[in-house]
Amino acid sequence: MLEQQLVNGFTLGLIYALIAVGYTMVYGVIELINFAHGEIYMLGAFLTLSFISLGLPLPLAVLAAMLATAAIGVLLDVIAYRPLREAPRLAALITAIGMSIFLQNLAMIIWGSRPLPFPKQALPAFFAESALTFADVSISWMQVAIYVVAIVLMIGLNLVITRTRVGTAMRALAQNQTAAALMGINVNRVISFTFALGSGMGAVAGIMVSMYYNTMYPTMGYLAGVKAFAAAVLGGIGSVPGAMLGGVVLGIAETLGAGYISSPYRDGVAYAVMILVIIFRPSGLLGRAVVDKA
Amino acid sequence: MLGKRISRVTLFVAALGVAAGLSAGPALADGAIKIAVPAAFTGSAAGYGENIKAGVSMKVDEINAAGGINGKKIEVEYFDDQCEPREAATVSTSIVNDADVVGIVGHLCSSAHLAGLPAYVREGIPAITPTATSVAISEKNKDEAGKIWSFRNVYRDDFQGKFLADYMDKIMGLKKVAVFYENNDYGIGLKEAFVKEAKKLGLTVVGEEAYKKGDQDYTPQLTKLKAAAPQGLFVAGYYSEGALIADQAAKLGLVVPKFGADGFDNADYVKLGGKAADNTFLTAPFLAETAGPDARKFLDAFRAKYNRDIDWMSANAYDAAAILAEAIAKVGPDRAKIREYLAGMTTPEKGYKGITGNNYFDAGGDCQKTAYVKEVKDGKFIPASKQMN
Repeated sequence: MLEQQLVNGFTLGLIYALIAVGYTMVYGVIELINFAHGEIYMLGAFLTLSFISLGLPLPLAVLAAMLATAAIGVLLDVIAYRPLREAPRLAALITAIGMSIFLQNLAMIIWGSRPLPFPKQALPAFFAESALTFADVSISWMQVAIYVVAIVLMIGLNLVITRTRVGTAMRALAQNQTAAALMGINVNRVISFTFALGSGMGAVAGIMVSMYYNTMYPTMGYLAGVKAFAAAVLGGIGSVPGAMLGGVVLGIAETLGAGYISSPYRDGVAYAVMILVIIFRPSGLLGRAVVDKA
Repeated sequence: MLGKRISRVTLFVAALGVAAGLSAGPALADGAIKIAVPAAFTGSAAGYGENIKAGVSMKVDEINAAGGINGKKIEVEYFDDQCEPREAATVSTSIVNDADVVGIVGHLCSSAHLAGLPAYVREGIPAITPTATSVAISEKNKDEAGKIWSFRNVYRDDFQGKFLADYMDKIMGLKKVAVFYENNDYGIGLKEAFVKEAKKLGLTVVGEEAYKKGDQDYTPQLTKLKAAAPQGLFVAGYYSEGALIADQAAKLGLVVPKFGADGFDNADYVKLGGKAADNTFLTAPFLAETAGPDARKFLDAFRAKYNRDIDWMSANAYDAAAILAEAIAKVGPDRAKIREYLAGMTTPEKGYKGITGNNYFDAGGDCQKTAYVKEVKDGKFIPASKQMN
């Protein structure tokens, strides 16, 4: 049973990790907790559904949904956050919560408030079958697909951040915005790129969740967003590898908590783990101690 | 600069206040009688809210088409509580503060109804819930003088839980079962009644696990339950989560008959659960197939209007609206008098004979109705071949 629980927890954790990197990247660059990120994740699932019903094959629909959500992420920044760049940080935070509520209700107007199933006919039939079965552990092809996609995306993201010019610019911005601007970095363009990248990853998480659990609903982003935020904090907010590790740790803690401690306290166990880590390592698992920039 | 900003904010707040003041007195059609229907119209339980709305509006349209109550039309105001206690608490306050509202059909969910009750009891407005089945309601529906303000024309969870244990033991012949319950008033009430009766019958409950409304991942709990090797799985919760549970149980290889209560009775259960929804048994307060000729007429009208088959919630809401309308017709649009009338419906003779059977209330404001069993087979709800009675 422990092995199966670890498999369950790892799957869940990778999904949290994909959402968490979106939080952490935006935080790293502009020190904003983008509470509307959970809604981006939800929109990824619904847009895929809409593109499939327009007749696109699954890979194209996923790609189109990723691009669309990336664009929405950028738009979100331009409309809601950019005008507040110089305002007190609390103003942007509250705006983020407002955007979250707005997007949630917009989705209810467009797609209705009932939960919708993912169009099964669009998925390859073998996805539901078991890929691996040993003893009483079974891993489905769907889970294998989640592992592959999540890990490939995260390696890709790391390469973008560490090896490309725009990645270097993102890191420069995270260190000191004024200095970065003085070095000739177009600050707003890099921030837009960060939003696009984070939103695209969040969309993939939403799409995979809606396939895996075969359901999507407009409020699905709220809880997933809170959990992923906790994962980002656990890993050290601002640190991309930290968000990945935090997601997996949180997913496994939650699963083991539900399986071995007490299922009504499932989320409680996950948050207790987070709180314990923060008490002993205030900057998170992989976060560096913050030097006050002012 | 700062002063300017503050004054702008003040102005805005003041403007809001004026707008709220202006909208406080909505134009009520001349002499119309207003009733409130609080239910979930957004959120994950919105599907049920639509059922309630369908049932109530069908009855109200019938009454209004026939000239209303003593010449006065009925007007319904729908309030969205999202099946969330915190929303219900707000909604209940605005209902009791609207002096035009004479009675309530709702709430939909037990948690929401329990959150609304304190306001209804304190301010004195009668409510009939067609769907809230929690046992706790019977303990919290009286004011200080012992007067009952909240009635229901649906059975209680302890009855459903007990009924399902009986059904598994006596009809299905199961020996070991597991319970997976939603961690709220509804799920816990069902679970407790079920476990109590199972103990009495010698039916072994090999596992009890909880989940939260809106969860998506149930694999940790199901993995644990699977290890206990149950012959049946009772899911004490609602269809949207239930469908996911059925799906994930099948993926984990936990292939056993599934059982649910009234919360499972929704066509979306099959749509979301797909093949995994098959082999599910659920209790329903109303079975279209066994309904009398009066109900038949209603069923056809319902299908013609909404283009789908009747569900028990719409049927119960239809009857609840009828009971309230009858009370208003007998004693007039007065909150206290309506309550007196409802509290007096204590015997089968004084009951209201609706499409869901004879509706009358006991000393706790609860009704006496039996349950039926439905089964999901090949993606369709059908009456189970074996009924309890």
